[in-house]
Amino acid sequence: MGLTHARTMTAVALAASILAPAARAQGADGANALAAGQTLYEANCAICHQSSGAGRPPAFPDLRGNDILADPYVLVSKVAQGLGNMPPFPTLTAEEIAALATYVGSAWGNSYGAPTEAEVAEILADFDPPMAPRSIWDGVYTEAQAERGAQVYRAPCGICHGTRLNGAPDDNDMIPGPALARHNFLRIWDGRSLGMLYTYTISTMPQSNPGFLPPEDYAAIIAHMLAVTGAPPGDAELPADAWELGHIQILPAP
Amino acid sequence: MTLEKKIKPGSLDTGPDEGGLSRRDFFTAAGAAGVGAALAAGGGTEAAASPIASSSMEWDYEVDVVIAGGGCAGITAAIRARDAGASVLVVDQNFDLGGRMLHSGSFLSLGGGDAIQLRDMAGEADAEGFITVPPVEDPEELDDSVDLLFTDVTDWSIVDRKAQSPYRYNDRELMRAWAENCPATREFLMANYVRFTRINGTHGGGGLSRARAPYCFLMLGDRTDIRAGTITAEDAGVADPERTSAMAPVQMEDASTFVGPGAVRNGVALARPLEFSAREKGVHFMLNRRFTDLIREQPFEGRILGLRASYSPRIHPESGQRLESFWQNGNVDERRETITIRARKAVILASGGHAGNPEVRAMFYPAMREPAFPTSGMALQGPGGQDASALIAGLRVGANLSGMQQNLSYPTTFHIATRLGTRDAYTDMMPGHPTFAFRGSAGLAVGNVGFEEFIAVNQVGKRFFNEVRLPKRPGANRYPGDGGAPNRGVAHVPNDWRNCRSEWVREMYNYDHGLDAALAMNEGSTAPDYHSGPIWAIFDADAIERTGWELRFPYVNENNGYYFQGDTIESLSRQIYMNHPFQRVPLRYLSQTVETWNGYVADGVDPEFEREVDAPMYAISRPPFYALSIMVVWHDSYGGLRVNGRQQVIDMRGQPIPGLYAGGEAVGGFNKHGLGKGHVHGFIAGTHAAAELG
Repeated sequence: MGLTHARTMTAVALAASILAPAARAQGADGANALAAGQTLYEANCAICHQSSGAGRPPAFPDLRGNDILADPYVLVSKVAQGLGNMPPFPTLTAEEIAALATYVGSAWGNSYGAPTEAEVAEILADFDPPMAPRSIWDGVYTEAQAERGAQVYRAPCGICHGTRLNGAPDDNDMIPGPALARHNFLRIWDGRSLGMLYTYTISTMPQSNPGFLPPEDYAAIIAHMLAVTGAPPGDAELPADAWELGHIQILPAP
Repeated sequence: MTLEKKIKPGSLDTGPDEGGLSRRDFFTAAGAAGVGAALAAGGGTEAAASPIASSSMEWDYEVDVVIAGGGCAGITAAIRARDAGASVLVVDQNFDLGGRMLHSGSFLSLGGGDAIQLRDMAGEADAEGFITVPPVEDPEELDDSVDLLFTDVTDWSIVDRKAQSPYRYNDRELMRAWAENCPATREFLMANYVRFTRINGTHGGGGLSRARAPYCFLMLGDRTDIRAGTITAEDAGVADPERTSAMAPVQMEDASTFVGPGAVRNGVALARPLEFSAREKGVHFMLNRRFTDLIREQPFEGRILGLRASYSPRIHPESGQRLESFWQNGNVDERRETITIRARKAVILASGGHAGNPEVRAMFYPAMREPAFPTSGMALQGPGGQDASALIAGLRVGANLSGMQQNLSYPTTFHIATRLGTRDAYTDMMPGHPTFAFRGSAGLAVGNVGFEEFIAVNQVGKRFFNEVRLPKRPGANRYPGDGGAPNRGVAHVPNDWRNCRSEWVREMYNYDHGLDAALAMNEGSTAPDYHSGPIWAIFDADAIERTGWELRFPYVNENNGYYFQGDTIESLSRQIYMNHPFQRVPLRYLSQTVETWNGYVADGVDPEFEREVDAPMYAISRPPFYALSIMVVWHDSYGGLRVNGRQQVIDMRGQPIPGLYAGGEAVGGFNKHGLGKGHVHGFIAGTHAAAELG
């Protein structure tokens, strides 16, 4: 599955897995960088920008003929640090970002070129280095935060995703939503980060009014989702910070 | 005060004096129940129904305005006509009032620059000060006008996700009147104890370019007091997750995000306040009485003079007792089999649509004829709910129909429910509400993702579709851009050809037509009906382990024919065949289907329906084995009686039928889902009906 690949390529800690070393070893080879870039794109970017690159403007920009891609600094900093609806991917390596840039720079009729790995590394040096990667199973939220999340969740989210977070709407008039907990949730979000989930949720949910809750509420709702999924609580709250959340990955139960 | 009880000559035990009893005497001195009981003994059987009134016609009751149906259109019309000084009698086939409004979510899309849009635009609280949260919508999303609303609901360029055009052929006069009356209706509802939350988006099918829909709310409190706006946790059905109340058949939902702490919402916060107000203002109600016929001067000529209605009590299957309404004041307890009611001014038909009548449904789409699948809310409304009574009675006096093709355009018209194991797969009564007995189980709400856990089979036990895609519904109609929300995505240009160009239709088309496969002919379909039969979710003990589904009462019921368990697939098949009321043939392929499926799981490939593309596949191998019913639910009716902008029913020559109005789901040519349609129709009909010369 593509998402499994995404996990192996985005997690530094898992660099020894099957695909990542192959992609890295052949990074100098343009065709392989392109293929690796496409795999990364499908796993990390297509959820918003779509496989076609068309995105869903204005929340998710169209990447076809998008001149922002011509500026390596903007491209690399947005991928690594995020901005607005764009989640940060702080755990991507310079090589991976270069491969991604190669792909989006030449896909869908684009001809923007791409920075080299060294050029990406130079840009990344302007920012804080990544934190140590963690997973949702490392006690990344508090019990109190999850309880608060359950309260906040009920009215705006339960209407479509259900009190049990199983995608069975509390309001029968609503079209069922995706499951937000347990094995279905883990499968769909496998390999992605909480940073992605957090920004994606803010920019799309609730559907009728995306982003209207305070950021802390979105973080609390995610804590509630993790609690129902069975991930253990810890001593520190999930931060309402996409960059920090970008270091926490959604992985299958250990 | 002009409601009079008239006694037919020849009635056995009613003296002539009673015939002249005024309404005031009748209701305040004797009390409705007492007099009704006396009448019950003397009720003669009415002569064979005839829509023609002869000069010797005798009436059992006489009143200014008679309304068939006490749902959102009917109660609104009743209060409106009563406010104008008319005497009003509402007959309803059910034991309690509210119709579908009572089990709705109370998401009430009006607009046109209504008072709630203006309130939220200004960032103000409600007059009572319950609302303590800021507006949910940006001011520009609330900036609305009647012209914009009218344009929106007649925009030919908006097609739905099935690429059909729900708005395109809406009746223009009807929509103009609706748009013009939306702001007044909002204020009318507010003046009758209805409290609105912050606006939160808009209703699919209700016009999309502005935010127009709040919910209705009450505040949890120590006592239930409609005037004060409070309800107890017990009455709201939130005290116990597995119990509902007689007041709130469906548990109320949290509305704190849209009001403040302690707010709850759903149709209870709309239906009960309106009912309370109607009773307070002196509207009379004759419940347990099914409207059957209109009475006109000549078969297809002259005024509508009144209606005929028959006794339709709902008897509790266990206690044998007749179900009684939550509130009683203003009820006329009339138990004769058939009675006539004269309407001095007008009759208003607000008795709902046709989704509960399989034979009439076939008029709109032959696939709707399978009787295994009911309308939404069937347990709450009973067999008379959405029974096409208005349409049938209208046709018998020469009414025209409108919007026959529109039934198929909005996704709430019909879909596969994701609540399994109950025939009543849409509404959600729990034990505590008297109609729970008619469903027997609350069902297991598994969402779309739940369909990944089982195989779905038809009446002969064969798979017929990719299960993961089976419950998928086409979304609401959308403008180009993202989502069905106002002001999201590309700026909307009304009446622009690009809104329905093929590229956009292709982008938003996401419907796999699983429902059509579910209703398809199969090896168990026989002439002349070729019924497709029921469909079943089949799974095993491992599925329970994966999902944590609670297969216990009140969610499922081993005795109501919609849930089965067996140690072998053969035993499961046998039980379904023996005990499900619509299982006409044995599931003779089920064992083979399960075996084949388990082979697919082992291979990781489903050559029949490509399930492996969408989700993991799980073997069905560890007993016990389970079967839960999967229901197709028929909802809205968009085809119905043709009316004009005054809600007058129109005949085949295009002329209004004097003295006859209709609104809500009884009406066609108005493709708009939800309460906004019914309330405004009732408001308009009540206004004009009361102004008729009596």
